[in-house]
Amino acid sequence: MANNEWALTRAVAGIGTAAMKISDEVGGIVVLTGQVLRALVPPRIDRRELFKNLHKMGNKSVPIVVLTAFFAGGLMTLQSAPFVKKLNATSLAGWGAGYAVLREIGPILIALMFSGRVGANNTAELATMTVTEQLDGLRALAIDPVRFLVVPRVIAMIVMLVALTVIGDQVALLGASVVGRSMLDISWSTMFHSFADNLKPYDFLHGVYKSIAFGGAIAVSSCYFGVTVKGGAVGVGRAVNAAVVAAAVSIMLLDFFLTYTTG
Amino acid sequence: MTATTAIRIHDVHKSFGRRDVLSGVSLDVARGGKLGLIGPAASGKSVLLKLICGLDQPDRGEIEVLGESVVGKREVELGALRQRIGMLFQNYALFDFLSVEDNVRFPLVQRGGLSDAELAMRTADRLRAVGLAGSEHKLTAELSGGMKKRVGIARATVSDGELVIYDEPSAGLDPVTTQKIYDLLAADQQRTGATVIAVSSDVVALAQFVDEIAFLYNGHIAYRGAAKTIADAPDPAVRQFVRGELEGPLGE
Amino acid sequence: MSSWAHRRITQLGGNVVAAGRAIRELWMVYVSTIAGIYRNLRRTTGSPRGELVRQMYSIGNRSLFFIIVTLGFIGMVMTYEACLQLSRVTGEYSQVGPQFLRLIVSDFGPTLAGLMLATRVGAGIAAEIGSMKVTEQIDALRMSGVLPIDYLIVPRFLASLVMTVMLTVVGSGVMYAAGGLTAQYSFGVNPHVYFDIAQVRPRHLIMMTIKAAAFGAAIPIVAGFCGLRARGSSEGVGWATTAAVIGSSFAVIALDFVISAAALFVTGGDL
Repeated sequence: MANNEWALTRAVAGIGTAAMKISDEVGGIVVLTGQVLRALVPPRIDRRELFKNLHKMGNKSVPIVVLTAFFAGGLMTLQSAPFVKKLNATSLAGWGAGYAVLREIGPILIALMFSGRVGANNTAELATMTVTEQLDGLRALAIDPVRFLVVPRVIAMIVMLVALTVIGDQVALLGASVVGRSMLDISWSTMFHSFADNLKPYDFLHGVYKSIAFGGAIAVSSCYFGVTVKGGAVGVGRAVNAAVVAAAVSIMLLDFFLTYTTG
Repeated sequence: MTATTAIRIHDVHKSFGRRDVLSGVSLDVARGGKLGLIGPAASGKSVLLKLICGLDQPDRGEIEVLGESVVGKREVELGALRQRIGMLFQNYALFDFLSVEDNVRFPLVQRGGLSDAELAMRTADRLRAVGLAGSEHKLTAELSGGMKKRVGIARATVSDGELVIYDEPSAGLDPVTTQKIYDLLAADQQRTGATVIAVSSDVVALAQFVDEIAFLYNGHIAYRGAAKTIADAPDPAVRQFVRGELEGPLGE
Repeated sequence: MSSWAHRRITQLGGNVVAAGRAIRELWMVYVSTIAGIYRNLRRTTGSPRGELVRQMYSIGNRSLFFIIVTLGFIGMVMTYEACLQLSRVTGEYSQVGPQFLRLIVSDFGPTLAGLMLATRVGAGIAAEIGSMKVTEQIDALRMSGVLPIDYLIVPRFLASLVMTVMLTVVGSGVMYAAGGLTAQYSFGVNPHVYFDIAQVRPRHLIMMTIKAAAFGAAIPIVAGFCGLRARGSSEGVGWATTAAVIGSSFAVIALDFVISAAALFVTGGDL
């Protein structure tokens, strides 16, 4: 009996510890968000840092995002293939794939890839800077790390994710069409008409709004875990791990809330 | 290769990209001999040690260790040879997911063939020798730098290998501890008759431990001679390095 | 040809060649891992069985909450979107439950679970192995006569294979159930109508297992590969972890695509 009680106590304690850790992290992220917002008013941002980050985060991510989006779009068509064949509704193939891509798959998948490519990289950079005490060095020079480092990165990441989502959406639709043409014998024009007839501008914008929110979530959580890192090379690895996981959870949560509130 | 030569290195070259680290290194070490390896920072000392263990492959040249060539061998083929070698890494390289005891036992456990009692006895013996008896169950994160180094030495010597390699055994330690460490290394070598290579930047302490010292400079062995007389070597670069003088052929 | 275009094409060509080489090396790691499993089975010394259990715990138990949360939410979103579309077209929701379950089992469940695990497990493995590489622990392992692939990657490979399948099953269930809640509370769909397994065929379950197994196999290989290539110090670990997340995620998508396309050819697109 004592054994079972002990195990149960440990389990509950474990849940309690985990809950404390999560709320600690969420709290820290909220605080950092507040700091970032405060630093935006008035907007005094280091222009060089901003452009440097825009370039680093945007240009370098295009290949992987484009490639992933292409396959994802194709995947959507493949998955709707059985329905299309059964109902012989080739004109709806574009609608099915396109709707999913613009509203959900596009923004979410591109955000996930972005979190992996840019978010993780960003955390690694900031974490290395923290571990090598460069952040302390900035503070000693009376430069606020949040204003100097974090804010430009947050802005750059949001802007770039939106741009990448827009591009990625198009490529995904293209991928969907290519697969439709090559594997399901749906002609280009059928696909395009299907897109044009059934997809509304609002569907596209809905995805873009989401990507703004995702970008913010990825940016703030990646910066947070970067600057709160503890302990050498091992700590950097853990920080990147935590940042990527937090970003994924936030993306799913935000997607849920945004879908419900803005339909 | 004769039975009395532990290591034979002949005309070894190694480059990383455009950086030529070793350009024609030749070195022989007799069995049971103690060789010290010194040289300026980034001269390739650690690289040479890795080549000897087969952890990296030279671009050109031959290396024979304990009667076997290590060039061009695959990982699986080197396993048996490596179990006859003990190595202390510059940054200790302790396994941070294992306790102190498990760290020290690791080479023996992997080799196999020993009972639990024998493992425990040899581990305890080693830890006592390095002055860490009672720390068996600590995790590496709880140890100080000096303690980690001593665990590293225990792990390097636990399998009583025929060849032991020490990469910076006393770096970052105070003079008293340094002396204790070198006394320990000397006692071990007396007991097992192993061949020893030690890299160190503390030339004075090193000179009292080893028989000969080799000076690695500009990618090759610039000098090799008795440890006791190294400060009066004919080569001015060696003299400058050993005496720590600012002026001389080494520049800054 | 203008020099800008020339440079771009050369760059693209270079990237393709590099990608090809990387895929070849990954394949070598995979082959080596399978060989490592045989080697481990024949070993008489230093059995890594305890390590296997530890890895299963690390990959399985510790990802459970994460999978439940992420797949639960996305299940709710998907059901919401589907019902929303239907409300504009037919207003008839009886097919939502059964069809959604079929799609979850054969497609969305494994894909989403795979992506989530690529992120979490991929980053974790690369961070662990990467920091071991830069602190020379990998070299220390080799000096004790241990093959890093046998000791580090094989347990993670087997653990991930098993755990990914299990987590996919659990996650899919959660996804479906969460969708049911949404359908009921937002669109008044009767649970009895929603929770209907009639549309699920054995071949869908087979697809789910094949996909989950493929993802579970790919993630530790890619992540372990990236970890073992880490160089330098903390920066190197950061790079390795980043590369692992991207590589694993992309591997999941690519494998998903290939398997789905193959299934289409084999079954001729039957529902």
